Amino acid sequence: MSEFEAYRSLFVAESRENHENLVRNMLILEKGGSQEAIDEIFRSIHTLKGASASMGFMEMERLCHTMEDVFQMIRSGSAVITADLNNLLLACSDIIELMLDDVEGGGDSSSVNPDEQVNALKQWISKGAGKVKVESPKSGVIPAVVPDTIAEIIDETDRPRYIIKLKVADDCVMKDIRAMLAIGNLESLGTILSIHPSREDIDEGRFDGSLVLKIASDVGDDALKSAATGTDIASVEITPAQKDEPVTPLKVSEEIIPAESDKKQQAASQDKTREIKNLRVDITQLDHIMNLVEDLVINRGRLKQIAEQNKIKELDEAISTVDRSVSDLQNLMMNIRMIPLNHIFNRLPRVVRDVAQYDGKEVEFVIEGGETELDRSVMDGLNDPLLHLIRNSVNHGIESPEVREKAGKPRKGFVKLSAHRDRDNVIIELIDDGGGINVEKVKSKAVEKGLVTPENATTMTTEQAIEILFLPGFSTADKISDISGRGVGLDVVRRSIESLKGSIRVETTPGKGSRFELLLPPTMAIVDVMIVRINRRRLAIPISSIVEVADYKTGSTHRIGKSDAILLRDEVLEIFMLDDMMGRSEDRDILIVVQYLKRKCCIAVDLVEGKQEVVVKPLSSIIGNTRGISGITILGDGEVVPVLDVNTMV
Amino acid sequence: MGKILIVDDTLFMRTLIKNILFTGGHTIAGEAGDGEEAIAKYQELKPDLVTMDVVMPKMNGIEALKGIKAIDPNAKIIMCTAVGQEQMVKLAIKSGAKGYIVKPFQAPKVLEEVKNVLAS
Repeated sequence: MSEFEAYRSLFVAESRENHENLVRNMLILEKGGSQEAIDEIFRSIHTLKGASASMGFMEMERLCHTMEDVFQMIRSGSAVITADLNNLLLACSDIIELMLDDVEGGGDSSSVNPDEQVNALKQWISKGAGKVKVESPKSGVIPAVVPDTIAEIIDETDRPRYIIKLKVADDCVMKDIRAMLAIGNLESLGTILSIHPSREDIDEGRFDGSLVLKIASDVGDDALKSAATGTDIASVEITPAQKDEPVTPLKVSEEIIPAESDKKQQAASQDKTREIKNLRVDITQLDHIMNLVEDLVINRGRLKQIAEQNKIKELDEAISTVDRSVSDLQNLMMNIRMIPLNHIFNRLPRVVRDVAQYDGKEVEFVIEGGETELDRSVMDGLNDPLLHLIRNSVNHGIESPEVREKAGKPRKGFVKLSAHRDRDNVIIELIDDGGGINVEKVKSKAVEKGLVTPENATTMTTEQAIEILFLPGFSTADKISDISGRGVGLDVVRRSIESLKGSIRVETTPGKGSRFELLLPPTMAIVDVMIVRINRRRLAIPISSIVEVADYKTGSTHRIGKSDAILLRDEVLEIFMLDDMMGRSEDRDILIVVQYLKRKCCIAVDLVEGKQEVVVKPLSSIIGNTRGISGITILGDGEVVPVLDVNTMV
Repeated sequence: MGKILIVDDTLFMRTLIKNILFTGGHTIAGEAGDGEEAIAKYQELKPDLVTMDVVMPKMNGIEALKGIKAIDPNAKIIMCTAVGQEQMVKLAIKSGAKGYIVKPFQAPKVLEEVKNVLAS
């Protein structure tokens, strides 16, 4: 085992790919499938089997082997796949995933017991095998009748004849093939006149390890002997024969001492220099390096400030060099931490399939843009909310086939998950063509739960009603279902997304479907911000959400409802004073126009200090998530400054 | 000691074989991930020996073997196989494969087979 320790992570990584490929193709197969899908499944299973055997993970090997047997039958057309079998195979693939988890954690897959699945598969094989003829003979099976002499090919030449007795080593795997190779080698040197067991027997696996043949050849016995000798050949006995001497089959009792194979030959040349091109690094180490880079960024800001204050030219130059290195280092670290979304997307088809089957729905699920990359820390937090949204779409969004037919829609619902990069953000879209959100139902439920008053409910716009979905303790499903319920509502989804400094939006058209849009920063740690001052206190606004900076003249504002607004180039924009956060100030001269998705608003500030790259640290769990603030940052002079979260503010 | 082309669709298996061969003092001419690539690499690298996986995407090991044999009838090819694939291997032997190794690979066995096939 220990000699394979070095391959463990590679094994896990590739096996996970194979496992994903297996599940993906099983789902294709379930939809009708193709020979190609069966071939792919077979290949994945086969690879999993081979790799787990190589690593000594015998429980996993056992399960994969049995699954391979099943697919061998399906592939050869001697059995067909049924819904029950498909479910069983998917259950097996779940077991494989558990085993991979075990292996990843340092185990050897034996903590997961596949007995139930293996037995079920074997049962299926034996049932299926009733209809099919199974080739049973394997190496080691001796033909029942051993003839005394063997028919001989007539060779009229005067070449010398030899009888060669050949024994394949007992521990050889596939003895029959070893025999075929030896026969092939001998045949290139002369004419084989007779052979026992016959070629047909060997070809069909009826071979116990001993072979006798008569050959006419003029290359000499040494050459024949070396041609017959090879890997796993325990002994070769060669004797000159008379022209008409018959071949007598070797008796099984005949004793032949197997040759000792030289096992030590490789120990000598152990020390070879090898070039290593890839390294696997523990993620905690990577996080640690990231923290150090963040510290560097903070201290770089501090150094810059010192240099500016003291006007030291040499220090300035040195800092600008350090500056470049730190920026490069930072970019490099960002890239290292990026992972394609497929990492989590690939598991989702299975989720959709399970939910749809559970609910008796038919769903076509499409994934696009899985190659879009996200920082690992964002990815970690995205899995659960995404899973929840997908379940929601199938469970609440897509209608049952009957309802869909009545509504004039195709029986099969459509769910699409796509991702793309949009400037500094990654946008993940989940679209379904289901019934959409029933706004009236949402309203009445909200009233029932005491979340809004009946009066408010009647005057509520669709947008406001959708907002209710995100309130804690709200769920439109009549009872908590096994699938999408679990007491977790969209409020948790929103909170998770917001804790990633992202945001979620919903659009819905009754009868046509819904669209969930997640907007995420590709990375959480380091952002470009504009430092502004209000009431002499500083505030950081992410550059990515700023659209413009404009002059602000008091008096040009208009009172609209509860808030102030300004007319800026034919656009009416709400003004935020942030008095409650920063305190009142009379010197507001500048407007920072910020945008989130398509909504714009502006913040009135006293002064713009400049642009800076900062490390955003999350607020501690004691404070929790505060709307409007995504975290804090420490500037070069040591001041702690809040970072504005435009998404939750707008 | 020979120059060897490793054909297998998984990096895991290729690495395993590669390390065994390295330890045995052989040179790795290159690696291929499927049958088509194997034929192309064979033409390009002209290795002394090929280790060929049987089950691979695009083009399987048997087809690749035939393809290589068509280019070079003297090509020395060892099939990488597993228990249960006897029929496939027999087909490969009939098509001109010179040897086989069985997964899970044991380093001494692999090296012995490589040595024998190189010497043949």
